[in-house]
Amino acid sequence: MGKVKIKRKSTLIDMTAMSDVTVLLLTFFMLTSTFLQKEPATVITPSSVSEKKVPTSNLVTILVSGAEIDKDGARKTDVEGKVFISIAGDVDSTFSSENVRAQVLQEAVRSYNETHKNKIQITPSQVAAFSKINMFGLKLSELPAFLSLEASDQDEIMKHLNDPKVGIPINDNRDLASPNEFQIWMRAIYNVARDMDGQGSQTFFDALQRSGEGIAVKADKDTPYSTIHHVLDNLQTLKFNKFSLMTALTTEDE
Amino acid sequence: MAQIEQSDKGGKKKKGAQKKMPIHVDFTPMVDMNMLLITFFMLCTTMIKSQTLSIALPSNEKVEQEQKNKTKQSEAITLILDTERDEKGNVVTEMVGDKVYPKHIVYYYEGKPEVADENKDGIIDNPNIKVEYFRGNVAGETQGIRKILHERNEKVLEKVAVLKQDWKAKKITEDQFQEEAKKVRNDSTLTRPVVIIKAGPNASYESLISALDEMQINQISRYQIDNINGTDSALILSYKTLNNIPVE
Repeated sequence: MGKVKIKRKSTLIDMTAMSDVTVLLLTFFMLTSTFLQKEPATVITPSSVSEKKVPTSNLVTILVSGAEIDKDGARKTDVEGKVFISIAGDVDSTFSSENVRAQVLQEAVRSYNETHKNKIQITPSQVAAFSKINMFGLKLSELPAFLSLEASDQDEIMKHLNDPKVGIPINDNRDLASPNEFQIWMRAIYNVARDMDGQGSQTFFDALQRSGEGIAVKADKDTPYSTIHHVLDNLQTLKFNKFSLMTALTTEDE
Repeated sequence: MAQIEQSDKGGKKKKGAQKKMPIHVDFTPMVDMNMLLITFFMLCTTMIKSQTLSIALPSNEKVEQEQKNKTKQSEAITLILDTERDEKGNVVTEMVGDKVYPKHIVYYYEGKPEVADENKDGIIDNPNIKVEYFRGNVAGETQGIRKILHERNEKVLEKVAVLKQDWKAKKITEDQFQEEAKKVRNDSTLTRPVVIIKAGPNASYESLISALDEMQINQISRYQIDNINGTDSALILSYKTLNNIPVE
């Protein structure tokens, strides 16, 4: 009987196939995904059967923060109903988000100074800082100081939703001669879009005014209607009668 | 796989020639790096794109107030939404069958609200209000408020169903179907309801979306979102009092 000789095999594992797979996966993720936009408040949108997709460009998103649930399971309503606005311009470089945001800020400051005694000053570097922020929501009087801060300090301020200066001030005002800050912002966006209309970009103004696809209201599913109503009523007052509500898709069995 | 065999050409081996080792490339670090990148992309991105629901609200101007409510009494149906919340303010959920539903209450009445109050106690004697819930379909049958709306819009739904079958059988294209369905929805010869949606202050945003969803599912083309008024509040209060439902 001869001894069976155990052949020593090399433990090297060939990783080429593995590498192929990971590269494929990586390519897939890179191509299909869009980056999560930084939002000051996370909300769970209600589900709906509507299959219409949210456009990625030429969109003004109005975020209404929901209540936070504390340790005892109670709803903390002091952070509820804060309003934030995000502006996404065209993919086209002339009317890019940065450009539109900068113009909107200048327009908003101008109209704020027309209606308020305490004038605010804004420097070009602050405008540049503003154009990089995806979603903003702060009292206009606090904005210049906020924009001079470092990005990490800005985040720190936006984290405290119960701070009275966070969130765009909104009330039941229906008199556009003395607009509230939400109305100032929305009108500024409208005016900028209208001016762009003359310069060759029709789509933004179109989306805002004619089809109603340009404004999306995003709110938490458990937020009471009385809070949402503030925003809807203000939009009505501003004659933005057509707009969309952001939802998540659900299928309905027939 | 990751090695390149270098075959000797020429057959004869020269003496003293170095033995050629196969070139082996180790891909492990490459895989490591790729995995890291994948993890990064998976965590930082979103795949779910939100959907939107378009709505049109009436203008806030006073002129339009008079033009409102000119719909036929027989066609009008008013939904008043409310959401039950516990003492902590969270939405109450309930189990029906094997599904969990948030407790959104739909008070509804047809035509005009009943406002007769003989003994002047602030409680309407016979509030013509009924209560339903959002229940969707159970085993292919419409339930809850959907059933009510389905019955009101039966004529339109029948026609749309025929069109849908044609579309599924590839007799017409999707665009044609959408166009035809739109025509049917707006066909004034059919009896169609006019739905007025009102949301109470406590009603959650979700219930409003559910109500709008029902409009879409039931192919109702005429609906509007309106603000709740004193009559509606009185109706609900009366309903609750008469049915011994605690009023908060």
